Parts: sequence; C-alpha cells; structure tokens
Amino acid sequence: MSGMVITRRRLFGMVGVGGAAAALSACGSSLGEDEPAGSGGGQGAVKVGLVIPQAGVYAPLGVDMKNGWDLWLERHGGKFGNYTVTTVVADEGESPQTGVPAAQRLLQSDDCDVLVGIVNSATALGVRDLVTESKKVLLVANAGANDITGKASSPYIWRTSFTNGQVAAAMGRYLGEEGTTGGVFEIASDYAAGAEAVAGFRTAFEAGGGAIAGSAKPPFGKTQDYQPFLSQIRSSGAAATFCFFAGAEAVAFVKQYRQFGLAETTPLYGSGFLTEGGVLAAQGAAAVGIRTALHYTSELDNQHNKDFVTAYQEKYDVVPTVYSVQTWDAANVLDRALRSATATDGDTLSKALEGVGAIDDSPRGEWSFDGQTPKQKFYIREVEKKGDGYVNAVLAETDAVGQDG
Amino acid sequence: MGAWFDANLVSILNGAAIGCLLFILAIGLSLVFGMMDVLNLAHGAIFLVGAYLGWHIGGQDPTWTTFLLALAAALGAGLLAGAGMSLLTEPLRNRSHLDQALLTLGVALVVAELLSMAFGNDVQAVNAPPGLDSTVRVFGSVYPTYRLVLIGVGVVFAAGLWILVSRTMIGAVIRATVADRDMVSTIGIDNRKVKLAVFAVGSALAAIAGVLGGPIYGARPGLDSTVLILALVVVVIGGLGSVRGALVGALIIGQIESLGRALLADAASFLLFGALAVVLVLRPRGLFAGATR
Repeated sequence: MSGMVITRRRLFGMVGVGGAAAALSACGSSLGEDEPAGSGGGQGAVKVGLVIPQAGVYAPLGVDMKNGWDLWLERHGGKFGNYTVTTVVADEGESPQTGVPAAQRLLQSDDCDVLVGIVNSATALGVRDLVTESKKVLLVANAGANDITGKASSPYIWRTSFTNGQVAAAMGRYLGEEGTTGGVFEIASDYAAGAEAVAGFRTAFEAGGGAIAGSAKPPFGKTQDYQPFLSQIRSSGAAATFCFFAGAEAVAFVKQYRQFGLAETTPLYGSGFLTEGGVLAAQGAAAVGIRTALHYTSELDNQHNKDFVTAYQEKYDVVPTVYSVQTWDAANVLDRALRSATATDGDTLSKALEGVGAIDDSPRGEWSFDGQTPKQKFYIREVEKKGDGYVNAVLAETDAVGQDG
Repeated sequence: MGAWFDANLVSILNGAAIGCLLFILAIGLSLVFGMMDVLNLAHGAIFLVGAYLGWHIGGQDPTWTTFLLALAAALGAGLLAGAGMSLLTEPLRNRSHLDQALLTLGVALVVAELLSMAFGNDVQAVNAPPGLDSTVRVFGSVYPTYRLVLIGVGVVFAAGLWILVSRTMIGAVIRATVADRDMVSTIGIDNRKVKLAVFAVGSALAAIAGVLGGPIYGARPGLDSTVLILALVVVVIGGLGSVRGALVGALIIGQIESLGRALLADAASFLLFGALAVVLVLRPRGLFAGATR
C-alpha cells in the first residue's frame, strides 16, 4: 500500500513541481520566496523511515502524524530541497518492545537516511544508542520526556514536538499570573510523563505565588474509574485542579469530572493533550470550559495555520491536531536542512539542522531549535462548542520558552 | 463514625455500582468455568462487543429507543457468541486448561482486531440515556444518576439469577452439573446442551454488561483485557460456579476499586491483587466455592 503512495508522490514530484510551487506561493509558503534550487544544497534521494504507531492505544496519533507528513510532501512536490523523498513506514506499536525493533529494521534493512516519528518516550530513549551508533538523524515528532534532549541527548536526536515539563510549566505560569487563590489540586497518571508534567507545573506555579492544595497519582493504565480521586479533590477544598492525562484516561477523567459535579465547582486545567484531537470528540459537552496549555490548536489565527487547516480538512475531512503539526514541521525542518546540506548522513544533516534558524511558516507560529528541541510559544486554550463539534479556542499566548519552560 | 461515613458515602455507593456491573459481567465466566471447567478468556472480548454495539447503535448520546435496541442486539450477539464458543471448546473438553486458554485467548485477539478494524482505534465515549445523564444529591454529595440506577439493575439481575438457579428445575440441573457432571449425564441429561445454554446466557450477560457499562467505561481498544482481568479476579475471589460467590466477589472488588482506593490512595495499584493474594492464601478455592459443591 505504501508503495503505491510513493509512486503517486514521485509522479507528482515529476510533473507537478511547477504547479505546486505556484499554488504554494499563492498560499504564502516560504517555498515561494526562497527557491530551493541553487541554494547550495546537494541533490539526489533521501529515504525517510517514519516510525509511528499503527496498532494499539496510540494508533489514532499515528494516523494524525502520517496525515501531517503526507500532506507536507504532497504540497511540496515530494522533495526536501533537491532531494526526492521516499517514505517507509514502520509500526511503532505501544512500547519499546515493538518500537525499537521497528526503528532498527528501518535503519538496518531498509537503509533509511533519517528517522521521523516516535510517540512513546520509552521508545525514543530506547533507540538512542541505536541511532547514535548508526550516525543517523532521528527527528522525534511527539515523545515528550525531558531526557530525550536533556540528560540522554545525542548529537543525532532532534525534536519537533515539546517536553512534558515545558507544556505544564506554561499552564503553571498562567495560573500563577492569574493569581489563582485557594490552592490547586494536582492529579496525573502515575508514570514518567505524569511526574514530569506535575513537576513542571508545580515549579512554575509556585514561582508565581500559587499554592498546592493536594496531589494524587492514579495508577497508569489500571484506572477506569476516577471516583475515589474525585472525592479526594472535593474534600481537599481546592479552588482548581491541574491534571495530566492522555488518550482513554483523558476521556474517562474529563467525563467523570463532569458526572460527579466537580466541573461546576472546581475549574479544570491541564496539559493540552487532555482535550486534543479524537479525545475531545469523545468527551464532547463534558469538556466545555476546560483550559489547557499547548503549543498548537487548530483555532490559531495566523495565515500559515489557516492554509494548513484548510488543506488538511480538504484532504482528510477532519481537523488537524498537534500531532499532525509536529510531523508537518519535521518535514519542514528536514526540507530546510537539506536545502543547504550536501549529503544525507547524520553528521552533515545534524550540522544543517543547527543552522535552520527560525521556522517562520509553521502552523503553530514561529519557533526555533533551542539545543535540539523547540523553543516555542504556548497557547492557553479553552474548550468551546463550535458548529457540531468542539474546539480549543485561544485565550492567551505565552512568550517562547525552551526545554525547561 | 458518622463523619467518616459521610465523607466516604460516595465511594461506598460507587463501589456498589461498579460491583453490580462486575457481577453481570463475571457471572457467565464463573458458571462456565465452574460447571464445564472451560476457562473462557474471550469473555472480555464479548463485553467489548457489547460496548461497541452500544456506541454504534446509540452513538454518543443514545435515546431510550437506541439504548434498549443496543441491549437487545447485545443479547442476540452474546447468545450467538456464547453458543459459538461452546461449540469451539467442545473438542477440548477433556484437555488441559492451557489448551482451552490458548484457544479462547486466540479468539479474544481475533475479535479485538476485528473490532478495531470495524470501529477504528479511537476512544469512544457513551452518555447515559436521557433522564439518567444528570446527577442527584445523595446525603449532600453529588452522584451520577445512571450509576445509582445501575445498582438497582444489578440487584434485579442478581435476584433473577438467584431464583433461576436455586428455585427452578433449570437451576437444579445447572447446580447438579456444577456438582457432578457425570452423574447428570447418567440420568439422561445431555450436559453438552446444558453447557451450550449456560455458555450462551453467560456470554449474553457479558455483552449486556458491555452496553450497561458504556456510560462508565466507554468503548476502546484494550478495554477487553482490562475487564477480563477484573472478571477473573471476581471469579477467583468468589469461588467458581456459584451465583452467590460471583455476587459477593463482585461487590468486594467494587468496594476495593472504589472505597479502597479512596482510603489508601498511595497503595491503589496493589489493592486489587493484594486482596486476591489474601483470599488465595486463606481460602484457595474462593470464598464460596464450597457452597454449591
């Protein structure tokens, strides 16, 4: 199946570059202003291994990521600079047990030049040595563990997504500045990402003068019913709740928060994954009024995002998510790097990535690499009903911050 | 005591609601395992079939018509699935539990994959039918109406099953089969038919539990194995093949998952299996295993 897609993309690349470039300059892409040809980069072919979950609980994220990737290539003639792109997809699955072998296969049997993707932080950390020893660039397009570009960093591993602490700190700063009084209850799934989020939130919130009223850590993957924790929040007397949940747990928590009457008394705040994409559709009316921080929402009012959302909806008939934007941007930075790079090996490409500067045409707004992870703005978003569905409307935006928020 | 009760009333109530749902889920597993010695690891998958039927037929906001329609569809699908499982496991009846576990686990994996192909991998949530999707105040605490009603539904199911098993001829055959399968065949009752019937009804109850559990658990990939583990723990704690055992086991697990987690929040991960370990040490055959044997 993916073979067919590639063929179609190649064809598009051969016959469609002129038309695509014209269309792109019309929609304000930087490609029009800055022709790739003749800017000093090499040419040839680049083979990209896309490691995304195609089965298991993260599969919906994999769909969004692939959509973002495919859309970028389709709208840019299937090329990074003067390199024709071939994409090979491998299934990351749910855990490093499936994700690491998938990455290994892409590097060793499929001979990919670059890896893009990876949802699970444990998988990203698990492929670190593999990627470093093979001297190939990995662009992490989701996994948010601080260590990936912190303690366990590698010269070859770059990230186009976020760090868990960075997202939560944006919420903590916002609530601190709002002068929220009466204490905030922290609740997060009991695993590494939850702990990083809570730590990031607490540091920023306390620095802003906020107080923590209590905390709870529901077992990760083993909690279907949040009533005991909701009772705890109620009896703590907290004025608000900060939470970190994703996927099925985000749906269950938000619905039960409403069902047990807490939504009316104790406003809910969280990292934006709580209400992003498919989970928001499932939460429906229960999510209205929830405020979250994230580096993207489909509601952003900038021209690059409007073009992106329109094109995305035309092609896939759904609204893009932060996960789509992260792979779209991975393609975008690879394009920028390969316009100046003269080869596709890890050292050359890493050097080129260092020099890409500001990504000024991203749907999320302008961002740049700080170290090897984005320095970017965060948006405070509130869930609202819009038409038949629900969206994360923009309330405020923060200054651009790096790894540690 | 009064203050403690007030503070934890919601947890106790919620434990009863979850317990009732677990009872409807686990009773089929308990009877099939206890009677015919067949370990059906596809039981959770049948629950998930029910959950997806509820979501597919009623959507996110079911009406009473679609909700009842979903229950009827789950009943039909569960009966068929149970009959199918009974026929499938028939050749293995004299083989070890491991062979049965492999077969039924295989079925569970295939069913889960088919559901994922049919309904996608997104998490689906279902609301309670109109009138039950609100909250009520119980002694000053807010509680979802649907869960309160679920307790009543569980009581009705438990009473009905108890009467069926202990007061009717059918029940006598079922109890006799649990006690001594061979003796039942010698008096001329084909225990393959008894097995087929119990398997079908037990699976139908699991599928119905899937619809009833929709407003609490939703429908999503992976839910099948989560509820299967809960049901297995209920069966092991309560003892095999008894309605009373499954009911008590389910209510205990409901309270552990609810009141236990509220009181011992830091030990939440260990409570369920901790309780299981305690029961296995003190009563290795379950709390009520002796009752019907």
